[in-house]
Amino acid sequence: MLTVDEVSAALSEIGLDRQNRATIGRLIAHGGLKYAEEGPDGRMRAKVRIPLDEMTWDPSVVVMPHGGDLELEVTNDDQNTHAALFPSNGDRQWLWLPINSRGTATLNLDGPGYYWFSSPIGNDEGRGLEGVIVVLGDAPHEARLDRPAQPRP
Amino acid sequence: MEYLNAGPAVDFGSLSAVVGNAPPVARDVTYERILAARSEPQNWLTYYGAYDGQRYSPLDQINTANVKRLAPAWVFQIGSTGLHAGPSTYAFEAAPIVVDGVMYVSGWDGWVCALDARTGQQLWQYQHAIPFDTPLCCGNVNRGVAVAKGKVFVVTLNAHVLALDAVSGRCVWDKTYGDVRAGESATVAPLVVKDLVIVGSSGGEFGVRGHLDAFDVETGRHVWRTYTVPKPGEPGSETWPDGPAWARGGGNCWVTGTYDPELNLLYWGTGNPAPDFDGSVREGDNLFTDCVIAVNPDNGEIRWHYQYTPHDLWDYDSNMENILFELDGRRLLAHFNKNGYFFVLDRTNGQLVRVTPFAERINWGEIDTSGNVTPKVYPKNEGEPVHFWPGPGGAKEWTHAAYSPRTQMFYVPVQDAGAEVTRRHREFKEGIPYWGASVTVDIEDTQGFVKAFAASTGEEVWRWRAEQPMSASVLATGGDLVFAGEPTGEFNAFHATTGELLWQFQTGSGHHSSPTTYSVDGRQYIAVPTGWGSWVEGFAAGMIGGHHGGALFAFALPAD
Repeated sequence: MLTVDEVSAALSEIGLDRQNRATIGRLIAHGGLKYAEEGPDGRMRAKVRIPLDEMTWDPSVVVMPHGGDLELEVTNDDQNTHAALFPSNGDRQWLWLPINSRGTATLNLDGPGYYWFSSPIGNDEGRGLEGVIVVLGDAPHEARLDRPAQPRP
Repeated sequence: MEYLNAGPAVDFGSLSAVVGNAPPVARDVTYERILAARSEPQNWLTYYGAYDGQRYSPLDQINTANVKRLAPAWVFQIGSTGLHAGPSTYAFEAAPIVVDGVMYVSGWDGWVCALDARTGQQLWQYQHAIPFDTPLCCGNVNRGVAVAKGKVFVVTLNAHVLALDAVSGRCVWDKTYGDVRAGESATVAPLVVKDLVIVGSSGGEFGVRGHLDAFDVETGRHVWRTYTVPKPGEPGSETWPDGPAWARGGGNCWVTGTYDPELNLLYWGTGNPAPDFDGSVREGDNLFTDCVIAVNPDNGEIRWHYQYTPHDLWDYDSNMENILFELDGRRLLAHFNKNGYFFVLDRTNGQLVRVTPFAERINWGEIDTSGNVTPKVYPKNEGEPVHFWPGPGGAKEWTHAAYSPRTQMFYVPVQDAGAEVTRRHREFKEGIPYWGASVTVDIEDTQGFVKAFAASTGEEVWRWRAEQPMSASVLATGGDLVFAGEPTGEFNAFHATTGELLWQFQTGSGHHSSPTTYSVDGRQYIAVPTGWGSWVEGFAAGMIGGHHGGALFAFALPAD
């Protein structure tokens, strides 16, 4: 199995890390990874942007250290109009992203697990504008099974 | 660079025709009203229509004489957006709840909606954000909601139980009651009893330890938890070997129970032991898997149990309904098990009254009239394929039978599909599927039925044959009609006495849900979610290529 660095190198070598190089689009969810930063109020904050002509989220993987509230700053640096649809408990959150615009989204996610987000217009998603919010951690202690620790993969 | 202000993100639902609020009809839904649910047949107040699980409504406006005029009144759809859990397996499985003209229904992937039950107009929506890597054996599904005291209760795939405000859809409280990292999830429709909302866990295919939980309706305070697999030293632990098997033993409670208020007992079915097919690591009967457990709702105490398939080696979960009925003054319970047998128990004490086969083909074993079980065909030896009927999907899956007190018959959706199973031992690892076998369900030589059985004798009265296994719940009405959907999309009405097919409508997608009925302003409706998915490869593998769809139909007679 390839390492993460080897995967990145292989994608670049093939040309899957750019639009319209080896094939039509860019491989989804390969726009980098960043951790959300947790403030003293317990809220987490992160920034995502759409770079020029790359049709990807930078980063496309946002990591929350645990479940809770995430404040996202969302920037469109592309020369085309996009949008954003984020998961959040209660209802998904929607933003128009005109050319050179910046907005915010406040999300609440339980975790642990992976949550999908995208630009849900045209075929932005297929071209690469899909991302993942990763929530780390465990279920609350009171919700876990009463049993000895079990082996994991 | 100066950026245009794209503003704060807005609720996606605000960019739709959703009204945003519902009339406060659920405020007055009390325990007393649910106890007497059948006395207000215009409503479908609780999962089975009433605590007895009969899935029978006295409504008779739509009847054998006029059902041929039945037509769609409205259709509601949710659709599927983006990448979510089970993108190829989601299905619409709910039983719509109706209170005084408002319908509350859950869909896949965290959806809960309130609808105008007369027009289908969406009044509010709530969507819980579900991780797409949630461990699911059988698809992205939810079986429905409970409504009481101004709240709508629902579980989420990632094992939360929520109370939503029934007027606005906003979350009032949210409690986690399962561990997704351990392989747990939640799909059950909650049951409100007194001041408690009762829910069970899913995850039996991942080697978890099943449990029932009760929460305070008003506050969400956790009141009790009852495990369905005992720890060493607890009653029933003698049916498990020494070692870790009990901690991975399954027995999940993923289908709603029934309730006798006079005996103050819940009747809750439990799921398969884990691993499903490799019995070598769990010698013994494996209590309380594959049981009905009679539970005191006040404290979760198991008062008695009856095990339908001891030491299960065929994946014969016993979660499906235990229907409460009376016969010759006796308080009885009826249950159609995956293993192909129809059980009648004395529900005061769990004693077997009668057991008879209802499946088309049974070769896994035999249950005699005294309830003694003799296994015959099972995955005994490592790497050696065996073929048995019913397959792991069961002669009847979780989808429900119905009982009409007018005809005194049970109406049962029957699946006739075998499977080849080869025992393949594997080590347990938390969060990884734990079947202990390779499994392929037959895609040919399968069929389905709706069968009617006399409550007094257990004898078959009539049958209607379908090309595919019947994998959706049945509804019986005071109009002497029996409704049942097919995997191929047809929604059917049968004469309850004769089994004659009286009406049929092609909905465009297969049925794996629980139809309900209600009336608004004197007009009776039949509501049925459609949308093919879930564990199709288990219960109707020959239809795994069927289109997903995902629509809630409401049928009524012409308004003129």
